[in-house]
Amino acid sequence: MAQPGWSEKWTLRFAVFALLFLALSGFEGLLMRTQQYDVEALRGMESVLNAIRPGDREPTQAELYFSMMSAHPIVGVYGFVYMAVMGAFYFLVPHLLGKEVRHKKLVAVNFVLQPLGVLICWGAGFFGLFNALYTLYWPLPVSYDRVPLWGSIFFCIGAAIIMVNILLFAFNLFSTVLSKSNPHSYSFWQFLRSAFGIPRLMKLFGKEDKKAPNLDYNGLPVFLVAVGRGSIDTVINAVVLLTAGALILVYGLAALFKAPLDPGAVNALVYKNWFWWGLDMVADGNVLIYTAGVWYLLVPLLVGRDLFGANVVKTVILVDLLVSMGVWSHHLLGDRSQPLAMRLLSGQFITWGEFFTMGLTIFASLMTIWLARPVKMTPPLKFVLGSVFGFVMGGTAGLIQANVGLNLVFHNTQWVIALHAHTFLLTGVGTLIFAILYALVPMLTKLEFRHKRLVDLHLWLWLVGAVLNAYAMGMAGSRGMLRRTLYEGGQFQPYVLVALVGGVLMAAGWLVFLYHLIATIGLKNVLGLFVPERWLARKQAASAPA
Amino acid sequence: MAAHPQHMDVRERRWLYLLIAVFLVFNAVTLSPLVPWQKWLLWSRPTPDKTFNIEFEDYQIRLPAEGIEVKAGQYVEFVARSRDVTYGFGVFRPDGTMVFQMQVLPGMDSRIIWKFDEPGSYNVRSTEYSGPRHSEMHVENAIHVTR
Repeated sequence: MAQPGWSEKWTLRFAVFALLFLALSGFEGLLMRTQQYDVEALRGMESVLNAIRPGDREPTQAELYFSMMSAHPIVGVYGFVYMAVMGAFYFLVPHLLGKEVRHKKLVAVNFVLQPLGVLICWGAGFFGLFNALYTLYWPLPVSYDRVPLWGSIFFCIGAAIIMVNILLFAFNLFSTVLSKSNPHSYSFWQFLRSAFGIPRLMKLFGKEDKKAPNLDYNGLPVFLVAVGRGSIDTVINAVVLLTAGALILVYGLAALFKAPLDPGAVNALVYKNWFWWGLDMVADGNVLIYTAGVWYLLVPLLVGRDLFGANVVKTVILVDLLVSMGVWSHHLLGDRSQPLAMRLLSGQFITWGEFFTMGLTIFASLMTIWLARPVKMTPPLKFVLGSVFGFVMGGTAGLIQANVGLNLVFHNTQWVIALHAHTFLLTGVGTLIFAILYALVPMLTKLEFRHKRLVDLHLWLWLVGAVLNAYAMGMAGSRGMLRRTLYEGGQFQPYVLVALVGGVLMAAGWLVFLYHLIATIGLKNVLGLFVPERWLARKQAASAPA
Repeated sequence: MAAHPQHMDVRERRWLYLLIAVFLVFNAVTLSPLVPWQKWLLWSRPTPDKTFNIEFEDYQIRLPAEGIEVKAGQYVEFVARSRDVTYGFGVFRPDGTMVFQMQVLPGMDSRIIWKFDEPGSYNVRSTEYSGPRHSEMHVENAIHVTR
């Protein structure tokens, strides 16, 4: 392998950690699925693990299950997905701008803080039995008769580290794009004004915003427009979750110092609206915008043709950002105390905005491929097409449940978490991250993936496994199986068994990819990524002829 | 013919029209009385014949002491209150399929009006996670619907 440069090395490091977090998250998924099949199935393993948990009391199987469920999405989203995004963007953004990352030291800080925060959250679940789940519905995380106090405190500390780290990452991205070395340099406020389409709005009213650059037509690659706009959602998400975490932490510390605060002082519905507004900036904000940006970047590169309707998609990204600001109420469709107007407008109609933005994004991507025929089905292109399928399937399930009428029988069922959320995350985002890896690894290492059959095996194991997992549980959800509920007595077992098989297939797909990656790069080179530069320099100096 | 670089290609415009058509049809159908409960939840808003209060506290679902007896075709209102954390009020058929549900947030009343069409016994289960013992929160044969 050619000696990778500074940015190549960091991207590969982030990628390796992302894959490890995917493995951890997947392992947790398999364990939880096993317990859904038989609540007592993990008792033997957990008895052994209890030896390293603090406290004398043996936790119940339900406590262990819901603790794992609380850590699982943090590992999957903030471990796997965010580490992959950080690695990819730290290479692609400077590469496309033709300049270096603005704050190089922050890259290393991001690399350390993200796993640290994720592992603290994971530890809060594993050791501290924190079980309030990622939704943290008020006042559950401060109800210390149900959620252990120390677990709650550590979870919030871990989450705070993650959110601060994400803010640092977004700051570095914005600094890099907006720094003076850019021929189109502008301030953050100018950028923000343009990102929200203010100049366009003013133009509609016959005025011109001379101070703001028009992001859509000033020559910036469409991928960077997507990263810029998607990162606004990223920042809002981090700030809102930080405030929620700080609130829980204040209650935790007050309880620790024997001066408990009244949970009733916080309105549960207002909190839920605030929390979901911020949390949804990931689920319905930056995920969709970043995904669109990556498709817009990869598809033309892979098929050797300009993006179909490039100017229209820039507008689509703008609409996506605006839509993401107003869709959160689809998470509150089950709340009869949420005003009906909010449920209808934000929960249903604005959410359908994503149908248009993703519909046009997918159309532009597929038309680009269609018009470029004959195209070579390279590994990244196959995975890009797989990810498109994932977003179509997960998006369709999402629109069915984001409905004032239908949500009555879908809310909080396995349909929501399996057919919608996990299809988005595994078949959509997961497959796209593999596409990025298949595209970037040869660019970064100058080494090609050698075995076409292993690529195909990875693709089909992953896709079939993910669809099987999501479809089986989605059907269980349509038969009334709730998420976040352990069923005794074998109810829904056949569905869970099929989903478990799907999970095993995905795990096999991951192993095939890992083997192929190591066979391509070499185990020594993978391990060498983590040898500090200072040691390498010293070794080189020692081996150099006198 | 190539489209103007800043205008929509004719194929893309046709696709957008198709998306608009799907949006209109799906939303019109699901907001209409074709979805049975939309008849009363969204449109007719009837005055309920009976009201049942259900309380949630400390992993317990407290139903009215006199039980819940309903006639098929009758409009009844369920008012759920939580004294501690968020729960869910879900009604299920004996085969496990869901009839309806709503979230029950602490500090406020959660209300829903329902009309049962089929006579029989229905189960109640908390549909929102409220702590590790949440899965224990179910009451068999909680609602009796007669002709």
